[in-house]
Amino acid sequence: MENKDDNYYIGKVLEGQTNYFSYIVERYQNIVFSIALKVLRNREDAEEMAQESFVKAYKSLHTFQGKAKFSTWLYRITYNTCISETRKKKQHFASTDEVQISDEAEEMNLDGIPEENREKVVKAALEKLPEDEYTLIVLYYFEDQSVEEISKVTGLTESNTKVKLHRARKKLYTILNEMLKEDLYTIL
Amino acid sequence: MKTFEEDKELRQLLKSVKPESPGPGFSARVMNRIFAEQPALEQVKQSPVLGKGFWIILALFAVLFAAVALVSGGGSASEQTPALLQQVNTDAVLTGYRAFFEKIANLPAGIAGIFMGASLLVLLEKFLYSGKHAIS
Repeated sequence: MENKDDNYYIGKVLEGQTNYFSYIVERYQNIVFSIALKVLRNREDAEEMAQESFVKAYKSLHTFQGKAKFSTWLYRITYNTCISETRKKKQHFASTDEVQISDEAEEMNLDGIPEENREKVVKAALEKLPEDEYTLIVLYYFEDQSVEEISKVTGLTESNTKVKLHRARKKLYTILNEMLKEDLYTIL
Repeated sequence: MKTFEEDKELRQLLKSVKPESPGPGFSARVMNRIFAEQPALEQVKQSPVLGKGFWIILALFAVLFAAVALVSGGGSASEQTPALLQQVNTDAVLTGYRAFFEKIANLPAGIAGIFMGASLLVLLEKFLYSGKHAIS
């Protein structure tokens, strides 16, 4: 795979070399699929909507002005496509808002999570976050998107994004803490 | 207490986790869909947003507007006929022209408004219909 920046591939696609769009798909398919999976909670629907998001992005590529990062633009398309799909299907998922955020959770040492099942634990904890908070956490910590970029993806104001990020992070710590306690009890 | 911006440990931890990935061949499936839709997309790109019909309706509307402006401007129609037309034997045309606009002039303003409004709506519909192809 050629390792050029997004604008290079976008330029090629706009010149008519459609094949180059596959580089963009390869680069972003995991995050696009992860967001879709979190919102739709079903691998089949998530794959369908992830495909739909890429096709939509391709069709409106000529409208991408390059003012924001391409990834921000693509994630916005993905997020909106998936949210519209849940509204169309009138899906409503019970959120995990009942998680009681505890202050002590934030003080926990993340290195305390055993390395051998760290990935499993973190994935399970992320799974318990509601889709909007999951999206914020993944975009901010995993994708290194700024608060401004995330607010463009989710349609929230910047201050609201900050508040929600703060809350989502605390909630993630609380969930991790609970999971570790449960693990400890199981061992004992 | 750390702010979310300062939490480098969490960033590191999350980066160590692989995100979910779609099934194998996902990229090929996306590209197949794109290639399948491409002929339709090309057709839409090639067809002008404002079609021939739009320009015909616009031209007719402009003619109608000019005619109404000539008639309602005061004085008789013959006084306002351009000099070029006066050199031509236009008696027959003028008779028909006067008869037509006298009838139109006797119509209540509301009916004229309805005609104008309907024309505008037809024009608007035509325009929106052309635009829809380009967006979807």
